[in-house]
Amino acid sequence: MKRAWITLFGGILVAVLAYFGFYFAGTAHSRSLEKSQEPELAWLQREFHLNQPEFARICQMHEAYLAGCAERCHRIDMKGEELKQLLASTNTVTPEIEKALTESAQLRADCQKKMLQHFYDVSRTMPPEQGQRYLAWVQGRTVLGESHSQMHHSN
Amino acid sequence: MKSQDEGNSDRLLHQALREWKVKDRHLPARFHEQVWRRIERIEAQAHATLWNQVVDSITNSLARPSLALSYVTLLLMAGLLAGYLQARLEKAHTVETLSSRYVQMMDPYQHGSEK
Repeated sequence: MKRAWITLFGGILVAVLAYFGFYFAGTAHSRSLEKSQEPELAWLQREFHLNQPEFARICQMHEAYLAGCAERCHRIDMKGEELKQLLASTNTVTPEIEKALTESAQLRADCQKKMLQHFYDVSRTMPPEQGQRYLAWVQGRTVLGESHSQMHHSN
Repeated sequence: MKSQDEGNSDRLLHQALREWKVKDRHLPARFHEQVWRRIERIEAQAHATLWNQVVDSITNSLARPSLALSYVTLLLMAGLLAGYLQARLEKAHTVETLSSRYVQMMDPYQHGSEK
């Protein structure tokens, strides 16, 4: 009788230990990614099988891109603020509004152009096969993803 | 006629019962106690609840080594499978989160333009 109860609870204990053992072993990779200094770049390195020199080069490009990106974002925000004030002051499309809209669109286009250029530079730093895969993925999530969503909204 | 036959058979039965004796007097030790316990157990089983029956059934099954081993193996496999599936979900979630954060860093206005 006692032995049967020991087997019963021992079995449950074995199941719990097996669950946590496999779970912690299986998520060790994810935890190490999240604990790294820059998890997004650490993910990029693992996902696209980058060696250390390739990764170091991409990190440099990434830093340079982000610095330029922050500046472009600031300009877009300023233009957005200007457009907001213009829109609040009238109820027709004035030449000033038209100009601000064009400039805002130009800034966004410039931003996207720089972003695409960065993607091409990063993809060229990767091994060719991985570079192609990276380009297809990142374009699908950014430029092509946006055009898709816009088409979806227009339907 | 019939009642006369019945009277005869009763007399014979009574005579046979009087003459009947238990020849084997070497009963096992605590025979009577064991008999009463058995009777009590059977009566208790008849009145046992479903839960008790389930518990008895489990404990009786697990007392057998082959079934106990199968039970522990089954739970081990179930634990491993559940851990593996949960880890896979967690891993997929982390990958999705980090890749989305990377895209967000690259294209901060992406979500803003969709709003």
